[in-house]
Amino acid sequence: MDAIDRRILDVIQSGFPLAARPYAELGRDLGLTEAEVLARVRALKESGVIRRIGANFQSAHLGWHSTLCAAKVPPEGLDDFVATVNAHPGVTHNYLRDHEFNVWFAFIGEDPETVQRALADISAATGVDVLYLPATRLFKIKVDFAMQGAGGEQ
Amino acid sequence: MAMQFTDTEKAILRRVQGDLPDSATPFADIARDTGATEEQVLALVERLKDCGAIRRFGATLRHQKAGYAHNAMVAWRLPEGTDTEAVGRIMAARPEISHCYIRRTTPEWTYQLYTMIHGQNPGDHARVVAELSAATGLEDYAVLESVRELKKTSMKYF
Repeated sequence: MDAIDRRILDVIQSGFPLAARPYAELGRDLGLTEAEVLARVRALKESGVIRRIGANFQSAHLGWHSTLCAAKVPPEGLDDFVATVNAHPGVTHNYLRDHEFNVWFAFIGEDPETVQRALADISAATGVDVLYLPATRLFKIKVDFAMQGAGGEQ
Repeated sequence: MAMQFTDTEKAILRRVQGDLPDSATPFADIARDTGATEEQVLALVERLKDCGAIRRFGATLRHQKAGYAHNAMVAWRLPEGTDTEAVGRIMAARPEISHCYIRRTTPEWTYQLYTMIHGQNPGDHARVVAELSAATGLEDYAVLESVRELKKTSMKYF
């Protein structure tokens, strides 16, 4: 990853051009050809820096319900619990964390009842209680990572 | 309550919720596959971005590979009488914090405020936590460092 890659990443995390030839537009701003920009973006995808390029929806705006969930899972039950949780398409993120409450996951569903029913099913299937921790107030969500003047030299 | 979309719009949204086609003309490609015009595809995305249904349109990075290898979720307890709005503003102003929420508590888990802190070096988040604790006066918090990613994907709404 070089300085030009970082400039591209700083732009396309939030400012991917909504235009017929998005890479040509990016190239105009960066002093590169369309083919050069596309090749660099492809390489950043292949190396795994870019996971995907597309829309990130705000679930509540679409009428969906999202929540954070936590569970205290004994080591011998961990694989089974994680498999049961991850099998739900509404589970988008799941992390093992260094705490007594060791499994933390985000669950998105069509409404609160659907989500809570799914969590009850998970508890019934695994014998592990799941904490339901929906947000009541949002102060910040900003998931762009500044790449220029930053690390990421690998 | 939920937004309503035509079948063609849903077909377009099914494509843009994933990864754009690897092409110089991704929106024309989606239009061709969904029976829409390129203008319709672009107009739909613009409209949903303007109204906030699409929070962000662009590249999602794997933060470990982007140089932000160290992160922790920190949950803070807000004592009775805390000026929640003031605390939230202080937390949200920090560039290392990507997410800051108040969440419902349970009898087993009584921390209310959550911050996701990203750092480029080990120890970065500990320094941020110490500074935030000093700036807000909050002293009771749980640091939940990630040990392993168990799942990470984008929601398929359509």
